[in-house]
Amino acid sequence: MADKEKRRSGTTPTPPGMPESKATKSDSDREFLSQVGVGELLRGAILKMIEARSDDPIGFLADHFCHLASVTETGTAGCSDGDQLNNGPLSAGAQEQQHLNRALWHLRLAHHSQRSAFSNNVRVAYDLLNLTGPRRRQGEVPEGPDGSCIDTPTGGGGVRGGLYTQTLQCLCSEGGVPASTSAPLLQRLHCQDHEAVPHDVFRHGVLTCAVFSDYIRQAQRLYAEVCCPDEGPASRALCLAVLGTLKEALETSQGCDANCSVNANNPKANSCLEASAKGIRYLEASAKISPYKLAQAIAGAQTRGPGGDMDAKEFENAAAELFITRVKVVS
Amino acid sequence: MFISTLSPESTSTMSRFNCAVPVDEYLADSNVLFYLSDAVTQLLEHKEEYTQFGVIRYFAEYFSSVKNSNHILFREYNYIRATPHNRASFIRVLWRCYRQIGKSGDLLSMLEYRSLLQLLCPDFPAEMVQSAARIVLMDDAIDCLMSFSDFLYAFQLQFYYQEFLDSVLMIYQDLLSGKSPNTVIVPTSTSIEQLPSVAAEDNDREEQQQDGVEPSTLAQCIDALCDRFKRSHPPRSCMREALEQTDKVSYYSFLMSLAKHEAINQTIEVMYIQREGVAA
Repeated sequence: MADKEKRRSGTTPTPPGMPESKATKSDSDREFLSQVGVGELLRGAILKMIEARSDDPIGFLADHFCHLASVTETGTAGCSDGDQLNNGPLSAGAQEQQHLNRALWHLRLAHHSQRSAFSNNVRVAYDLLNLTGPRRRQGEVPEGPDGSCIDTPTGGGGVRGGLYTQTLQCLCSEGGVPASTSAPLLQRLHCQDHEAVPHDVFRHGVLTCAVFSDYIRQAQRLYAEVCCPDEGPASRALCLAVLGTLKEALETSQGCDANCSVNANNPKANSCLEASAKGIRYLEASAKISPYKLAQAIAGAQTRGPGGDMDAKEFENAAAELFITRVKVVS
Repeated sequence: MFISTLSPESTSTMSRFNCAVPVDEYLADSNVLFYLSDAVTQLLEHKEEYTQFGVIRYFAEYFSSVKNSNHILFREYNYIRATPHNRASFIRVLWRCYRQIGKSGDLLSMLEYRSLLQLLCPDFPAEMVQSAARIVLMDDAIDCLMSFSDFLYAFQLQFYYQEFLDSVLMIYQDLLSGKSPNTVIVPTSTSIEQLPSVAAEDNDREEQQQDGVEPSTLAQCIDALCDRFKRSHPPRSCMREALEQTDKVSYYSFLMSLAKHEAINQTIEVMYIQREGVAA
């Protein structure tokens, strides 16, 4: 990146005859930049961005820097107490919330279709939430400038059930799913507060919620296609036809993807693996509903079927139900 | 990545599934390096002010404002026109700031619109405003008053697709002067330098305005241009539709129908709606 910094600082080495001031200005600029650590900062940001390959690189950078800024700011505040046990400045509850926020940030970094990146992020988030009780030093001892977590020994034997459920709730709501729609899903996935959630269950829950959010957004888009907002809610027949197509797509999506690195000896993990893989298939399948099929369904619906309208909410709930009935209950 | 991939065939979700996009292309598409470079330049120019809360906070603010389309406010013209996102953001801010004029139905002159633009961008050039006015007024009586929405639609088209429209104008000039479509040289985006001479032909153009050219011929040439044009251009379907209606089409009548086409508005609008995460 050094050549980039040179470009930004403006001028190349002074040709003869040019005033001295230009050379010293670019030198002092470069000195200033290295003093405040801009090179490292940007290098880290770009690397993270390339790894994530987000659809919205600018948004990604904005989130990345905001996150880094808040970590640095709270970290500085926390560390100012020196070597004492950190329970002073931040209560355990607030600390947990902070961990939750950071875990959620990690989970947002990569889309669930990017298997290895997503798995890594789930692991990092899990480790973050896995810390139970007070620790030797405030957790915000500076992360590297690129925002990665320093290796810490995992504290507890699992994520607290309540925290796990909260994570799932946040994932769903951030993904644009209203609470009422995600409630039945969370019923199936949630764990009791006193339970310690192991990594594979955590991963399964997070993945299911991520896929579910995508699925619901897709369903919303489908509804928007069959319905013109000016003309009021879409006809019931039409909606049922579209839901039928969606159901068909879900049912034909079979197959187990063996790419996950979950311990294959654990039968529970196997079922989780299967469900997760299916979840991924659901979204790919729903994306495959072609406009032609949709048009066919719509044309068919117009000649028969019940009367009345179906509004967006009902459609969304019905679509959600199709998905949720396939999700195994966590026991 | 923004406007040129907005054709119905390709969706933005493709990039998630296609990790084979090389790094250079991925970086180039989003103009990220441009923004990083500008951020650092700005930082160097305003050291004391911007390091008050720390450098990380500065970058966070910079990129947040880019994301929210606020970054172009009061910046220089060269910055505003530098990326498609910047152009769309500027149009949006324009609309947001001056919405009231549209609502009240006031009619303003070209110079007044230019003043409004200069409030948001101090060095906004007159030529751009003139070009937009010509579309609304069909190149006639530039002093006439225009409604805000007419002006905005024309301005948005002209400003966003400036390079493409300049190329189309050159093609139109060639066709008008009698060249056969096969010999019309399809200009690339680097041949913009020739334009100042075109502007000098104002008088000639007014006389020729009545004639126009064959819409199908123009459509053919525009299609060829789209095939080669590297930067953004309006959706082909819109342009084809705009050319279907008449027997003879003039450059400004073509632009006028294009400006009114709903899809153009949506195309430019969709980008900043998507940015805010509203489901399309």
